[in-house]
Amino acid sequence: MSGRWQWFHRLGSPKWFYEKTTRWLPWLVGAMALFLTVGVAWALLFLPPDYQQGHTSRILVVHVAVAGTSLSFFPLMAAAGTVTLVWRIKLADMVAKHAAPLGAWFTFLTLASGSIWGSVMWGTWWEWTDSRLVSMLFQLFLLLGVISLRTAIENAETAARACALLSIVGCINVVIIKYSVDWWNTLHQPSSPISMEVGNPNGPEFWVATLVMIVAVYLFLAVSLILATRNEILERENNAQWVRELVAQAR
Amino acid sequence: MIDGIQFNSLGEFLAMGGYAFNVWSVYALFAIFLTANLALPLRKRRLILRDQKRRLAALDAREESARDPADSAGWEVSMAGDEK
Repeated sequence: MSGRWQWFHRLGSPKWFYEKTTRWLPWLVGAMALFLTVGVAWALLFLPPDYQQGHTSRILVVHVAVAGTSLSFFPLMAAAGTVTLVWRIKLADMVAKHAAPLGAWFTFLTLASGSIWGSVMWGTWWEWTDSRLVSMLFQLFLLLGVISLRTAIENAETAARACALLSIVGCINVVIIKYSVDWWNTLHQPSSPISMEVGNPNGPEFWVATLVMIVAVYLFLAVSLILATRNEILERENNAQWVRELVAQAR
Repeated sequence: MIDGIQFNSLGEFLAMGGYAFNVWSVYALFAIFLTANLALPLRKRRLILRDQKRRLAALDAREESARDPADSAGWEVSMAGDEK
């Protein structure tokens, strides 16, 4: 194997991933806790009430952060799926396998928080003619589809490849979600332009709080996905010498 | 009170200007979402480690009994000898 590709395969080694993440996890968890605390405290206590929405704008900090992050699941699963299809690296498929249910949680919270906000601000919990709402619901169904596809196919390798293909195709829906508000705007508002002016509806007091929450939610995604992938490694590699040693040392 | 906090009392904070149900239910869902997706993988890790520890112990026990009994007896004798 040429030296240029060695790092790539080392990165795909479950043992390498496990050892690296053992060192990264405390930092990721610390950063996540910090950003979550600042983000939630800012959104709940310090954010001034919106001149039209009142205190419901506190919902949007969570909604926007979770919704935006939920769009990264299909690209992530498609990238991992491509690695699975082309290089057959096991680790990529382990990540993809656990990304799907986590993505479903993200998408569900996006829909629920949006609905709870909309029930008072739009006067309706749901609107079937709104393209943003419907395409987001479609993302939830696609993710549930990926999850059930994996359980439905008995052969693990075939299941991995089928899920990889569906994840790549599913990326089209992410583009539709992103631009739906500009293409067929009915109820859901397009993203507001960021303003540097304090007191503006999307002034720094709102968007910096949202940005802090976005970083917090991305860190949470990383921590949760790493924890699930490490479990998968312990299960799949349970006969490897290094896993046996690790199990023997565990309390 | 810390400067910049938008509420004058705890009651006002909990009331959220009349939107208590909406604000607090979203934050409750957010808390469940965060807790579940950290606690479930951690719980699963404990179960995996416990099961594999048992599996390894069972494997060791089987190897032990498969070994020549005279061999293990000899090992114990030499250990006892060291004690003296």
